[in-house]
Amino acid sequence: MRPGFSPRGDRGGRGGGFRGRGGGGFGDRGRGGFRGGRGGGFKSPDGGGFRGRGGGRGAPRGRGGPRGGRGGFGAGRKVLVEPHRHEGVFICRGKEDALVTKNMVVGESVYGEKRMSVEEGETKTEYRAWNPFRSKLAAAILGGIDQIHIKPGAKVMYLGAASGTTVSHVSDIVGPEGLVYAVEFSHRSGRDLLNVAKKRTNIIPIIEDARHPHKYRMLVGMVDVIFADVAQPDQTRIVALNAHNFLKNGGHFVISIKANCIDSTAAPEAVFASEVKKMSAENMKPQEQLTLEPYERDHAVVVGIYRPPPKAKN
Amino acid sequence: MSSFRKALKSRQRNHHERSQPGFRKNLGLLEKKKDYKLRADDYHKKQNTLAALRKKAQDKNPDEFYFKMINSQLEDGAHVVKRDKEEVEVTEEQKKVMRTQDIKYVEMKRVAEAKKIERLKGELHLLDADSKQKNKHTFFVNSKKEVASFDLADHLNTAPELVDRVYNRPTLETLETKVIQAAAETKSVKKLARQRRQQYKLLSQRIDREKKMFVISQKIQTRKDLQDKTMKVRVKKETPNAAAIYKFKTKRKR
Repeated sequence: MRPGFSPRGDRGGRGGGFRGRGGGGFGDRGRGGFRGGRGGGFKSPDGGGFRGRGGGRGAPRGRGGPRGGRGGFGAGRKVLVEPHRHEGVFICRGKEDALVTKNMVVGESVYGEKRMSVEEGETKTEYRAWNPFRSKLAAAILGGIDQIHIKPGAKVMYLGAASGTTVSHVSDIVGPEGLVYAVEFSHRSGRDLLNVAKKRTNIIPIIEDARHPHKYRMLVGMVDVIFADVAQPDQTRIVALNAHNFLKNGGHFVISIKANCIDSTAAPEAVFASEVKKMSAENMKPQEQLTLEPYERDHAVVVGIYRPPPKAKN
Repeated sequence: MSSFRKALKSRQRNHHERSQPGFRKNLGLLEKKKDYKLRADDYHKKQNTLAALRKKAQDKNPDEFYFKMINSQLEDGAHVVKRDKEEVEVTEEQKKVMRTQDIKYVEMKRVAEAKKIERLKGELHLLDADSKQKNKHTFFVNSKKEVASFDLADHLNTAPELVDRVYNRPTLETLETKVIQAAAETKSVKKLARQRRQQYKLLSQRIDREKKMFVISQKIQTRKDLQDKTMKVRVKKETPNAAAIYKFKTKRKR
């Protein structure tokens, strides 16, 4: 298990592993009070669902209620949350200066990221910071990409899900109506992915090689978008294979390209250009390309449309 | 009689050594006996020394050995006894251990700094930093005509004023329908902006410190590696921002 990303609940003897949905102990806030038993737990009216029953809900601060943030959130402090161009994404401007998504599982960080909660009258909303230095998709959004096509209610296939850090944010964006098929080959990071999926019902984890889509064809329906961050020399082929199998006509793809992984000797621009050319050959029509400069070096994200509808004649 | 002789002597003129005659003045003073004596004594002393040394050399025992022969060394032409091994305050071994500990400490501090940077970066996403590296955004369109008539604000479906606000260019619909949550009065917005600037300053300071500590640990490591007895050649000189680079002769390790 990677450091910094350990759902603490599954350590033996602590919370007794997972007890299905809403069970206690699933690593919640990374510090103190694992079996606090003091917190809102039983009494809170919103107790059901994601909020645990009893233990695990630490609340060593004795205040109860889903007030987020690592170090607590003082009464006087405020954050401004402005809606982003892409639905389901927000910009949080307070003391922090962060890209955020609305947390689907209130009170839980997935990989130790910061949470901020905002009260607007009666309703409280919790947001999770989305680190562009770790996530290519977040870097692309902050870089000003036109369309990510991942929006509430969308069905997304995510190739190269790794530990599920970005996947958790994608699941926040698509919301309970949408679906994320998260494909990851490595068992090691797949384990973390499974733990994320346990808390988020709209993620379907698939621990398989994305080169062989027939192995998971029974699990996956048609999807609206394919996001790929596989960093393989043949990644365009991998995406094309999955697109032929699962992507609807006129669906979109978002591919993150790491120039070094394709060809470490060629210039990055040349690599991106050749990848774009390969896409066109596979009936995937690229629409925009964006480099991820302050956040990643020699990376690009290409967004396009699969089997575009024929042009209207005029 | 003798007193008579003495009386005669008193009348006698004292013998004086001859001095340089006037017409030879230009040749300098004449040597006197006492001058000669000094010169002769000096000469004989030297001759005797030479003879004694010569004799000593002839009598030398080739097997003769004294420890001073190896324990002393010349310092400014004089033999000085070398310092004893026991007198060294810090042995090489100890020095090595101390260096390792130094590296470990610096490294520990550096890692702590790096962790803090990571945490700060998690919430400070350089949204509108001025000195940000520029990225490159390419749009693929269908025809030359579209290239000619391309308008960024139009293509992105956003307000023209927002085109440069790369991190968030809300669409026109978003601008119409959505609102900013937890909007506060100007005063508190300003306060938040000040706090945010402070945080960014903190982040940049931490990044600087982390870099510096990395250089320090590299330099200590190089110094430690130099204690190795293998042949090495310096490739690059040490600079304030980088350790020196040495090329070590490859040697098979057992």
